[in-house]
Amino acid sequence: MSPRTYPLESSTPFAATAICRIRNSICLAFFATAGALYFGLVGNESLFAGETLYFESHSISTESHVPIKLIGSDARWQLLVSQRDPSGPRDLTGKVEYKFEPSGVIQIDPNGMVIPLRNGTVRVTASLGSEQSEPIEIEVERFDEPLSLNFANQVVPIFTKLGCNSGGCHGKLAGQNGFRLSLLGFEPQEDFEHLIKESRGRRLFPAVPDKSLLLQKAINVSPHGGGQKLELDSPEYRLLRRWIEQSMPYGRDTDPVLTAIELIPKERRMLRDSSQQLSVIAKYSDGTTENITRTVQFESNAPDMADVSVSGLVSVRQLAGDVSIMARYQGKVAVFRASIPLGATLDSWPESKGKIDDAVFAKLKTLGIPPSKPSDDGTFLRRVTIDIAGRLPTAEESQRFLADTSKDKRAAWIDVLLESDGYADSFASKWNAILRNRKTTPESQFGSFLFHDWIRQSLYENKPFDRFVREIVTASGSIETHPPVVWFREVSNIESRVEDAAQLFLGQRLQCARCHHHPFEKWSQADYFQMSAFFSTMEKKEGRSAQDPVFVSKAATASAPHPKSGKSLKPAGLDGSVIDIDSSVDPRTAFADWMTDKENPFFAKSLVNRYWKHFFGKGMIEPEDDLRITNPPSNPELLEALAAGFVASGYDLKQLVRSICNSATYQLASDANEFNQGDSNGYSRYYPKRMNAEVLLDSLDLICGTQTSFEGMPTGTKAVSLPHTSFGSYFLTVFGRPESTTACECERTQTANLAQCLHLLNSKEVQSKVSDSSGRAANWAKQPPQEEVQRIREIYLLAFCRNPTPEEEQTALRYFESKRANVKDAYEDLVWAIINSKEFLFNH
Amino acid sequence: MLTILGQASRMCDGIARRSFLKIGGLSFGVGGFSLADLYRAEAATGRGSSHKGVINIFLGGGPPHQDMWEIKTDAPSEIRGEFRPIPTNVTGIQICEVFPQLAKRMDKAAVIRSVVGCKDRHDAYQCMTGWFNDELRSIGGRPAIGSAVSKLLGPKDPAVPPYVGLAAKTQHVPWSDAGNPGFLGAAYSPFKPDGPGMENMKLQGIGLDRLQDRRRLLTSLDTLNRNIDSSGTMAGLDAFEQRALDVLTSSKLLDALDLTKEDPKIVERYGSGKPYQYQYDGAPTCNDHLLIARRLIEAGVRVVSLSYGRWDSHGQNFDLVRDHGGKLDQCLSALIDDLDERGMLNDVSVVVWGEFGRTPKINNGAGRDHWSQVSCAYLVGGGIRGGQAIGATNRLGEYAVERPVHMQEIVATLYHNLGIEPEGTTLVDPTGRPQHLVDRGPISELI
Repeated sequence: MSPRTYPLESSTPFAATAICRIRNSICLAFFATAGALYFGLVGNESLFAGETLYFESHSISTESHVPIKLIGSDARWQLLVSQRDPSGPRDLTGKVEYKFEPSGVIQIDPNGMVIPLRNGTVRVTASLGSEQSEPIEIEVERFDEPLSLNFANQVVPIFTKLGCNSGGCHGKLAGQNGFRLSLLGFEPQEDFEHLIKESRGRRLFPAVPDKSLLLQKAINVSPHGGGQKLELDSPEYRLLRRWIEQSMPYGRDTDPVLTAIELIPKERRMLRDSSQQLSVIAKYSDGTTENITRTVQFESNAPDMADVSVSGLVSVRQLAGDVSIMARYQGKVAVFRASIPLGATLDSWPESKGKIDDAVFAKLKTLGIPPSKPSDDGTFLRRVTIDIAGRLPTAEESQRFLADTSKDKRAAWIDVLLESDGYADSFASKWNAILRNRKTTPESQFGSFLFHDWIRQSLYENKPFDRFVREIVTASGSIETHPPVVWFREVSNIESRVEDAAQLFLGQRLQCARCHHHPFEKWSQADYFQMSAFFSTMEKKEGRSAQDPVFVSKAATASAPHPKSGKSLKPAGLDGSVIDIDSSVDPRTAFADWMTDKENPFFAKSLVNRYWKHFFGKGMIEPEDDLRITNPPSNPELLEALAAGFVASGYDLKQLVRSICNSATYQLASDANEFNQGDSNGYSRYYPKRMNAEVLLDSLDLICGTQTSFEGMPTGTKAVSLPHTSFGSYFLTVFGRPESTTACECERTQTANLAQCLHLLNSKEVQSKVSDSSGRAANWAKQPPQEEVQRIREIYLLAFCRNPTPEEEQTALRYFESKRANVKDAYEDLVWAIINSKEFLFNH
Repeated sequence: MLTILGQASRMCDGIARRSFLKIGGLSFGVGGFSLADLYRAEAATGRGSSHKGVINIFLGGGPPHQDMWEIKTDAPSEIRGEFRPIPTNVTGIQICEVFPQLAKRMDKAAVIRSVVGCKDRHDAYQCMTGWFNDELRSIGGRPAIGSAVSKLLGPKDPAVPPYVGLAAKTQHVPWSDAGNPGFLGAAYSPFKPDGPGMENMKLQGIGLDRLQDRRRLLTSLDTLNRNIDSSGTMAGLDAFEQRALDVLTSSKLLDALDLTKEDPKIVERYGSGKPYQYQYDGAPTCNDHLLIARRLIEAGVRVVSLSYGRWDSHGQNFDLVRDHGGKLDQCLSALIDDLDERGMLNDVSVVVWGEFGRTPKINNGAGRDHWSQVSCAYLVGGGIRGGQAIGATNRLGEYAVERPVHMQEIVATLYHNLGIEPEGTTLVDPTGRPQHLVDRGPISELI
């Protein structure tokens, strides 16, 4: 239960509880009893006079009237104290003064951590100046009893927190100096064996625990390559010593296992230059809980906006925006989201046109970042034509669109584009690259042509995306009968098939889990190999040639051996249950069923984020194919809304594009207002992006009135419609065309470099286009001089979808005047200047 | 066809199909750098205005620290390895036997045997910047030394980029990292001279007058509001455009890259580095790069980075060190002599290092694995006090026992040698916060 769900009633007595688990015993913690107590809610504005200080609830249970109990001398409790404020709760945990009586039972450190001293019960209040909170009760029990320990739940987390089992130290495959721990403690049983049995048992010495090598190294008394990791007599040291003293119990089979962790608070609106203490609760399989704040690892996804200390204190700096703090503990992850508002207000917001705008504008309002104005017609026309159809509008299209006075002309134009060849070409080019459709040998070209044609046709006729994916992952037969088998030809082993499929269609990067538990995700090796079992019956058979093989699924039971245990694993999707598949059925159909199920948590989200990035230049999740809990989206509500809409539409790709492009958000101007210049992921304006390589080359040809020829392709073939990415072209290479060697969109680069500028400014290729004897400049030079104004306007319309300003017109005319002796030169120079201008190179 | 790396036969292997040309940091105005800033930065170290430079030689993969500058003679054989130490021209300093030429020049150089602060990551990031790769990631990361220098000092000559990266593209991409501009943005990227794009550096089909006319026209028509782009791409293109136009009006840079313009005797001294053995997915041992680096610095470049060999010796460690070390011995000694003869040695700092050290214990394949606890570095020139061996590891070469030198101290020393006071100088990041170049000061023993 999160703080969000607490009742707001301030006048009725109300109590909340927490169950805190110290090993096998349960204690229920009593948080509050008083009537005036207020539980701070994120963004809650309903205030009442009087007390403004209060203890935050840590409870994840609703059982009531039980005080906080600390059981045993190792127990700790992180208190959180907040103050009500109209803009949301403010953390005062480290600033208030804690009073408690009787004394001597506990102590509370300046950060609000409760440390038990002896058995007893105390009442604690927090005060700041004249303000005072309602009291809470804390009980300490069984302080002097040696409580038995569980290795996996209590010892291993210490190794993780201290970095002993990190990839740079004992956690690497070969270990360090002969001592090996499993990476981040994901294999406690192995760690236990290594500690107890290896090195002739020197590592642990129950007779004199302090002389154990484990402790001697950790405190650097015995020289330790990693230096001192522990203070003598620190809580961690004492726990390890006690575990050795007890003859190193592993724990019982019946001991509870960790099921989840919870971070409190979940989200907060934070002022710039402020701080927030976090508290973390572990939940166990027996229903018990434990406060583990001091044992978890915290990490900020943007340390320049907010950083977090080892004890969970988040410090926000000067930047406005969103930041997430991750807490990791034994493979479980929880996230705290802070939004740091800029605080600007705007009287009139653009009108929302649907769920996309609702989510974007809500976020912008929270952050206090007002959006830019709507874009003008010419800008919109150029933008949407490039984004959907991968080309510039023609002069006629621009004229018609600008002259059109109908209200729905933007929506109508979007529909026209979606039904055009340009849409199919442009998106086929996108999918072609990540589906690795390339020509590796001359013989492989035939297959890549067929596969490209299949992709293009699927998009053109708007094949539902689930079917598109299903037909790829279940492809069987020969290239002629079913072109998507080219994917299996290019992605040639089972590992890359599992990994590509996960990255392409689920936004999951599984590579790590092939060799060990994924360090930043929940995926284990078992998850990986259960996925790979879906592909285990695939067989490549000789076809007409090496480049034209036949793929079949043999009749066998799908399974894959676990690389450690050797146990045969049945197929299962990520987070899905094991599926029993009859040996007569191709297991890949079950894989497709699981992926494309409406409830699949990854499939729709990964696609909509990928498409969002295509249009906005910045994914809600970056990189767009890395959907991790430790890599949260910048706007989760937007992601949910888009994904839900996509599923509801029956995975209709054109409908998705339609809703994105019709949103007010997409149609905002790129010009920054006073406040949103620095915004880079709130979508308060359209972020300009350089045209991609193929679109730029085609646009250049359009302006110059020329064509680029590609080896073996008919004249007039546009770069955007090339069937694979292996056509030789320095232009395309230098402007960042991908090579299709991986499933990663990141192969396509849009960054600027000198080679690009030199190529546009000075290459033989561009110069020959500009000065082509049948090109635009040469043709226009043959026209009478009085038509020059007309020509200048025409090229502006073509390149920028707008008329030149009077100054621009005058500049160009003056230039023509100075070049009267050679009008062709003047036209060439004008064309050259246009294609080198930023307004041309960018979609904005 | 222009030959940039000497004759075509001297072209280094391993250059990728996709060769990119990157350039950065030249144009005044973009970085808002004024002459006054230059004087201020240089005055801070009490140095004159002579042309200082850095050649950053990255030994990608991580050289075995115990087989380079400190042979662990007291360690048992499964740790000690096959090499014996040899005396140098500095009494009391011994280095590995594969470096006989460098041993004769020990009085000019310093070896650091106790480099710490390495992260176990197979990339050039730390050697290029002094920082971990996740620092300030959301605003682009920390800038490489060359990028910071481009920003702080600007170009020495407007037609020559202040920062050039010679690293050939490697299959393991992070080893060909020539340094990244980080939060400074694309305008401060290193210039990478390779590939067919070199042709574009000579005017194609039009004369200089016509280019100037076009340039004027472009300037008056290219008026798009630049504040629409906060990603830095547009500003980067503007800067590159200026740089490109400057390059087209001067051939200084091209000449510097052309080894046919060098005295063949000098070329001979450096050796070719071939055959390229043990290269796999790493960089070739291209000795020409060290000579080109010297020529670039002469032409006005301030920082040159290059990647030399593949030192990731999980197998055959000793054969690899014999091969790479012998070649390095030749070209590095040639570079020292060359700089010395031209009176440049006091101005040009050369650093030779990798991303981490290697395991003391030799594995079953006669190799050594990753070891980030301690590493090593070789420094020469730039006005440092030579003839020193700084720091030491324990008997087994496991960790630093004497004078641990943090990687950032080495980077700070390079900044110091360039005339930039590392501890007082800051760069403003995109959020407006001043960022220190490094957190630590230069190595006091050297300056």
